Amino acid sequence: MRAASRRVAVRLTMRASVLLGAASIVGLAAFGWPLLIHARAGANVAHAADAPWIFVALIPLLLAIVLGEIAEGSLDAKAVALLGILAACCAALRVPSPGVAGLEPMFFLLICSGRVLGRGFGFVLGATALFASSLITGGVGPWLPFQMLGAAWLGFGAGCLPRAIGRREIAILAAYAVVASLLYGALLNLWFWPFGAGTTTSFSYLPGGGLLENLHRFVFFDLTTSLGFDIPRAVTNAVLIVALGRPVLGALRRASRRAVFDPVVAFDDAAPTSSADL
Amino acid sequence: MATPDAHVKPPGLAHARRTLHPAAWWAWAAGLAAAAIETTNPVLLLLIAAVVVYVVATRRSTAPWSRSLVVFMRLGLVVIVIRVVVQVLFGYRLAGHVLFALPQVSLPSWAAGVSIGGPITAESLLQAGCEGLRLAVVLLAFGAANSLASPYRLLRCLPAVLYEAGVAVTVALTYAPELVTTIGQVRAARRLRGRPTRGLAGLRGMAVPVLEGALDRSLELASSMDSRGYGRRSSETTTRRWATLATGVGAVLVLVGVYDVLSASAPWWVGIAALVAGVGSLACGVTLSGRRTTRTRYRPDRWQGAEWLVVVSGAAVVTAFSIAGALGIDGLQVSFYPLGLPPVPYLPCLGILLALAPSLVSPTGMSRRGDPAVPATRRRDVATSVESR
Amino acid sequence: MIRFDGVSFTYTGAEMPTLRDVDLEIPEGELCVVVGTTGSGKSTLLRAMNGLVPHATGGRLAGDVRVAGRSTRAHPPRDLADLIGLVGQDPSASFVTDAVEDELVYTMENLGVAPAAMRRRVEDTLDLLGLHELRGRSLRSLSGGQQQRVAIGAVLTAAPRALVLDEPTSALDPAAAEEVLASLSRLVHDVGLTVVIAEHRLERVLPFADRVLLVPGDGAHLRVGSPEEVMVDSPVAPPLVELARVAGWHPMPLSVRDARRVAVPLRVRLSSATHDAHGPPSSATRSTVASLSRVSFAYDEVLALRDVDLSFLAGEIVALMGRNGSGKSTLLELLAGARRPSGGSVQVRGEEPATLSSKRLVKSVGLVPQDPQLLLYGETVADECATSDRESGLAAGTTRGVLDELMAGMPADRHPRDLSEGQRLALALSVVLAHDPPLLLLDEPTRGFDYPSKARLEGILAGLAARGTSVVVATHDVELVARVAHRAVLLADGDVVGDGAARDVICHSPVFAPQVAKVLAPDPWLTVDEVRRALTRTDDLVGRS
Repeated sequence: MRAASRRVAVRLTMRASVLLGAASIVGLAAFGWPLLIHARAGANVAHAADAPWIFVALIPLLLAIVLGEIAEGSLDAKAVALLGILAACCAALRVPSPGVAGLEPMFFLLICSGRVLGRGFGFVLGATALFASSLITGGVGPWLPFQMLGAAWLGFGAGCLPRAIGRREIAILAAYAVVASLLYGALLNLWFWPFGAGTTTSFSYLPGGGLLENLHRFVFFDLTTSLGFDIPRAVTNAVLIVALGRPVLGALRRASRRAVFDPVVAFDDAAPTSSADL
Repeated sequence: MATPDAHVKPPGLAHARRTLHPAAWWAWAAGLAAAAIETTNPVLLLLIAAVVVYVVATRRSTAPWSRSLVVFMRLGLVVIVIRVVVQVLFGYRLAGHVLFALPQVSLPSWAAGVSIGGPITAESLLQAGCEGLRLAVVLLAFGAANSLASPYRLLRCLPAVLYEAGVAVTVALTYAPELVTTIGQVRAARRLRGRPTRGLAGLRGMAVPVLEGALDRSLELASSMDSRGYGRRSSETTTRRWATLATGVGAVLVLVGVYDVLSASAPWWVGIAALVAGVGSLACGVTLSGRRTTRTRYRPDRWQGAEWLVVVSGAAVVTAFSIAGALGIDGLQVSFYPLGLPPVPYLPCLGILLALAPSLVSPTGMSRRGDPAVPATRRRDVATSVESR
Repeated sequence: MIRFDGVSFTYTGAEMPTLRDVDLEIPEGELCVVVGTTGSGKSTLLRAMNGLVPHATGGRLAGDVRVAGRSTRAHPPRDLADLIGLVGQDPSASFVTDAVEDELVYTMENLGVAPAAMRRRVEDTLDLLGLHELRGRSLRSLSGGQQQRVAIGAVLTAAPRALVLDEPTSALDPAAAEEVLASLSRLVHDVGLTVVIAEHRLERVLPFADRVLLVPGDGAHLRVGSPEEVMVDSPVAPPLVELARVAGWHPMPLSVRDARRVAVPLRVRLSSATHDAHGPPSSATRSTVASLSRVSFAYDEVLALRDVDLSFLAGEIVALMGRNGSGKSTLLELLAGARRPSGGSVQVRGEEPATLSSKRLVKSVGLVPQDPQLLLYGETVADECATSDRESGLAAGTTRGVLDELMAGMPADRHPRDLSEGQRLALALSVVLAHDPPLLLLDEPTRGFDYPSKARLEGILAGLAARGTSVVVATHDVELVARVAHRAVLLADGDVVGDGAARDVICHSPVFAPQVAKVLAPDPWLTVDEVRRALTRTDDLVGRS
């Protein structure tokens, strides 16, 4: 049954992929607007102040559309049950480190799940896991849609990694964990930066400052305020993958095999008596 | 003011006491947060904080999530501290009343424009403190919503298009506490077997049985859901076609709008108009896709007079702030150059006081259902479950 | 109501069909009991009834399954949910939500039942299953029996015409099982629901079964018939039926009441016979392995044990009995060193187990928890054994050696979770026994076991006792106690209310007496084997004289 184990838990239809792409572009803009915004538009202070709030309203809507579209086609009972249970496990990994920042060892499980169960599943799991854990810890806020999108990308990316087995696979996953958690941290920081750094420091967002100037300021902001959290988080997740990756991947593969996603059902039309002779 | 639901009590509802619709709390908190974003005036911000804390204190339940406010309050304090520390270390050095001076460090050329240390002025600290306070008050408003609205009931308000994802989250919320119990059992069993429960070896030995148990569980759950009608949908195609159209048009408009807003290639209102139209179109798509489901809701949370009042009281705050802004009333944005007491604008203050309304109009009462976890009985539950094993 | 026409089913990748050429008709309003050993294909048969087989599992189905005329070929399980409900073994694993009322309405919401009708059906179901006092409770706070009743209610609210239950009581203790079965009999008798149930506790369901469906396994043909017919030579049978076979009763009595009416001649024949000597050699020759003196234990303010004095001898099998919450598990945990007593002292081989390092502890006490899976985390049986040796510093092959002694021929490359309950317990036991502890504790070991697995466990325990291990079993399973225990200790509300030879303690209790004892009362006979041996002895005597 090798063929069955390669089936993915959540199939991305054409429509879902297109929507996911569109939502991701808007998502990138939502994270990166302070850098991407044109100097002329950025300089219009009143106008630039609207941007983050437009995105706060936009991202949940887009996430809902994408998740709804993915669910519509291929989220059967098995995928939903597995999604819910794994989201609970991720949330449990997140609980010891509550708040906006934290060690978040949940990425480790998210990456392993995305790897085994495919990128569609990884995307949905990232979003639901963040949502569930925020509900459990009572941490729902305007940052939640952004965290959901970030984690969804992280899970999606884990499903896109190249084929490999054994130690090579673990090495790839661990490297991905480091890169992805650093990126996730930087992205969320980028979102928080215009609010968090005020206007009167040398690494505050400078409306109309242009890409290079603001990138420079942002990198400093990121280095000084958050890398202290982000690097330990990246290391924790990588270490967990090295230490637990093999058995966890094994358990997930076994579950996905047993779940028989997308089962092959055949009906014999032969008369009952003849089938008994087989 | 009498609770408005007293006379519309449906027949047969034995437990008439209800709690406010969670979405109403969220709307109220969003109003306060939006108002807080508009101002750096510490008087207004502290007033908002006081109103938030008062309403939460009078209306919160005993459920575990009602403690969120305290967590958010601590988070807010951390934000203020970080903001002030950052200002001290990296702030612009403008003239003012110097409180103390740090040795100034000049950074190498690649870090041009960043300076560390230097003289610290009272003005800059106050300004930074107010900016931090603004963020902390925004956090506090969300903390209030988290404390007041039950996450379980919030989940039931998700749009129909998110039904599947919502079920997954429901499953997660159901299973998470059980997971904690399982971890305890595995730990106890490992100790009995003389195995480590700490360190990497312990972690591995604990993680695998817990995960395996969880995965097995998901298979059983799936077969239960399958046989209980999960995933039934109508096969109506007309609605689906309209939903696809609305979603597609919405996505394109949003992309165009985002591009316009960021690139400033067209007049600013073109981008905004495209975004608004796109959001509207997407919302239509969400609603239409949701309409294809044949599911019904059992005893949905009702939206009644009290909910409207609470929402209006939250909206009143933003409105007051907007009017004050439009009229050019002094005091929304304060500057500490020159140093002085901030002015107190009356209209925004009045608006903030209107947000106290929920502590009068919202129904109090124990939740009737959907709020299963009650902390007082929890210890007992655990004790008896341990015992029954 | 449910109709199989020439149904054969083969799982994808399997060589042999699991179901072969099944023709079956279950009429409306009937209670049909499905009997078979573990792994015989019972579950596949039950799941074929609502379309989970083949729609969820995959595989090749020949023939046609129809529920009230609707074929599972064209309708996946979700489209049959309004006709047929399926309830599994572990209720807590089937819950989607976490509150009683939410769970009850979940199916109806999926089916799109009108809100007013939903409301009415919830009230009806609450009354029918006696759940009205629990409506606002969280599911986690319920007992196992209450949870299973909610799980049944949750499919009943969809107003199905048939209910399929796959071992609904095997994860429950007897009191909870009793509660669930009582609810079921009410559904059959008062509501006239068609019920198909697979159940290990045949003695509980046979009295009200209309029909028995015997699944022999290995692809052999199903047998269908009245309980009296099928039980004459069913390989799976409750003690009562076995007693009837020994005594040659005809027609087969299916309840204790029926059996007592025909048992008078047997009682007369047995009155002169002697009981087996049932117990270890006298305590004088045996050393005390563990003892509790004036032990008390309290959780928070709740006193779980009060001034308990007990001792356990080498080579003795002691059964701890009592209702849930009577302190059985607490007692085991104290003996295993997992808890410290609030008062008094616990001694195992002269040492306090709670003070021992875990390395020394495993050498003096072994505890197999109720869910033996908790002890296992290897990826295969071989891996599990090797890890056990390595982590405990034992010679390589020790654990596997113990395992082969307990249960030969365990597949080395199988994942522990894919083993049967009996095999899994044997594996966990061997991991514990590899340290050769003088005291072995088992918590409810026979839950979910079929009769052959139970018989094998009884053999294992007797063998251990013969080698001098002191075995303590906390159990609700009176037949297990009747067959292997030398001594029974009865706990109630934290007190020891009975302690003595198993025969004396359980035979005259209306709650704990095994079926044979109930039929043959007032004479204290415990097991069918004992009766058989006694009869042979008396027959020999009669023959000689």
